[in-house]
Amino acid sequence: MKTFVCIKYVPDTSEAEIKVDETGQAVDSSRFSFDINDADNYAVEESVQIKEKQEGTVTVVSMGPQESDVMIRMALAKGGDNAMRIEDSRINTTDPLCVAKVLAGALKDKEFDLIMTGCMASDDGHMSTGVALAEELGVPHASMVKDVEVVDEKKVKVSRELEGGLMEVVEMELPAVLTIQTGINEPRYAPIRGIRQAQKKELNVLSLDDLGISPDEVGESASQIVLNKLYVPEVVSAAEFIEGEPEEKAEKLASILVKGGHV
Amino acid sequence: MWGMTMSVENQTFAEKFDLLGCIQCGRCTGGCPVTVRTKLNPRRFVYDSYNEDLLDELSRLPEIWDCSGCHTCAVRCPKGLKPVEVLFGLRNMLVESGKVEPTVRDALESTFLEGNPWSKPRATRFDWMEGLDVKTAEQGQKVENLFFTCCTIAYDPRVQAVAQNMVKAMNSAGVDYAFLGEEESCCASEIMALGELELFNELAEENTELFNGYAAKRIVTLSPHCLTAIKKYEGLNAEVIHYSQLLAELIEQGSINFSGELNEKVVYHDPCFLGKQNGVFDEPRTILKGMPGVELVEFTRSREKSLCCEGGGGKMWAETESKEERLAEKRIKNAKELSASVVAVACPFCVLTLEDAIKALGYEEEMRVAEIMELVGELL
Repeated sequence: MKTFVCIKYVPDTSEAEIKVDETGQAVDSSRFSFDINDADNYAVEESVQIKEKQEGTVTVVSMGPQESDVMIRMALAKGGDNAMRIEDSRINTTDPLCVAKVLAGALKDKEFDLIMTGCMASDDGHMSTGVALAEELGVPHASMVKDVEVVDEKKVKVSRELEGGLMEVVEMELPAVLTIQTGINEPRYAPIRGIRQAQKKELNVLSLDDLGISPDEVGESASQIVLNKLYVPEVVSAAEFIEGEPEEKAEKLASILVKGGHV
Repeated sequence: MWGMTMSVENQTFAEKFDLLGCIQCGRCTGGCPVTVRTKLNPRRFVYDSYNEDLLDELSRLPEIWDCSGCHTCAVRCPKGLKPVEVLFGLRNMLVESGKVEPTVRDALESTFLEGNPWSKPRATRFDWMEGLDVKTAEQGQKVENLFFTCCTIAYDPRVQAVAQNMVKAMNSAGVDYAFLGEEESCCASEIMALGELELFNELAEENTELFNGYAAKRIVTLSPHCLTAIKKYEGLNAEVIHYSQLLAELIEQGSINFSGELNEKVVYHDPCFLGKQNGVFDEPRTILKGMPGVELVEFTRSREKSLCCEGGGGKMWAETESKEERLAEKRIKNAKELSASVVAVACPFCVLTLEDAIKALGYEEEMRVAEIMELVGELL
């Protein structure tokens, strides 16, 4: 099984105070810590577990700055065989379609059975890159995957997590793209000894020119998304507790909605 | 020292830990405080670990994570062995396989990436200094007392006052001191206990180089865990002491003047990493006795016999399965029997575990846990 796993270097914003920088177009990330995107970490673990059961190779793919090499080395220490990092300031990274086009450009000539991504990036939360990547490559995809069973060399059976906790089980022809949901496994720890050994594994740094992709296809001009402004929503205190019997509550609520012109 | 001896790759497990020296007297298990509430039996592990074929299986037993690293076993061993390090060695095997609990994994990864086990950004490490007149160290500039803050004290708002009050105390005493800036990284005490020996060695090397860059006469740690770890670094050109040693000296010299009175009955809990492991028993008591209005009482189990709070040995990130009464709760009940209104400690982990115990027992109205520096702060 030849697997490619796409990972993203993201800020941990779980406890941090979010501030928009002076450009008004980006978040000030100077006080954040960065690490692998949570869902991508599960995708790495899943790809390594499949390799351990089925044999094969795992190639780590990421688009990001040089600082993210540490994350790539950690993924290699966990069982990845080699890696490629794409870095080019001309890519419009705010548009998941542009990102998917770049990834597709990097993968289209490779021989692969499975491509895994996390189902969602914790920074922009688009949930689109993996699905768009499948479209660009012209292969089937399954999103929000919570279980992967390799049926044979040409087929996998995957469980998709749907609304309300339902599981949808699908059999898919390979090659395919899976976007992995968190909780599918328990990601392992990359020991320091392993990270040191992973320094010897191949990590290719590639630009758009190396991939033969024109900046016109993936740059700002190609994007259908225009980022106007980022702002932190204002905190206002306008909560009103409606008291009374259910009928009274309903009447008061309806009156508020009608008077306020909300309906 | 374990960290360095383990790097001798060709040694067998039995050779690394001198297991053949064990006479199976059982003083380790007999003294181990956690055996009363868990399945852990240090003597058994020392005996079984001699068999190389069993090591993998032993490393997967959950009770190796029950050890709180208090070192009672090592203190009591008549042959000078350290059963605690055998357990850390087994943890090391599991860490190398990558298959550790998520809490342990996250603490180790955070230390590797951000220099602290609390999953906090490096950039916010010294937010606690805001608004304070702190002297920070500059490379090459001579300083007598170079302070090492500790990850827990730097990031946990519950214990940040330890560092903040230390700044006030040093400023008022006119001491030549400086705190490390953003370059400070974890001392790796708990990293070693969690079994990530390679990371310990890496941090020890980086920190030694960092410390030696500042021409400090001595390094003063705020946590006894940092004290213990930094003392293990090789090639350090400075003495390493705990803040209680410096403060006791200043009080004896009359350089620190307390104002007001505390009027509390205080019982001092000896942290294992300060007492058992570093022999610092008197200095914290000297500070407490120097505070006006303090009535100092003693636990029956004090000094070398102090009961471990279970906060060390990486236990902040590895929960014990046992539902039996926690040792910290036992300790707080002892404090209540003494009618103490304050349980004074000199360790951030002891603060956290003992305070949890007070809450679990519902004693919040009757007593409180206070780091000695918090009490100092009340009288400055």
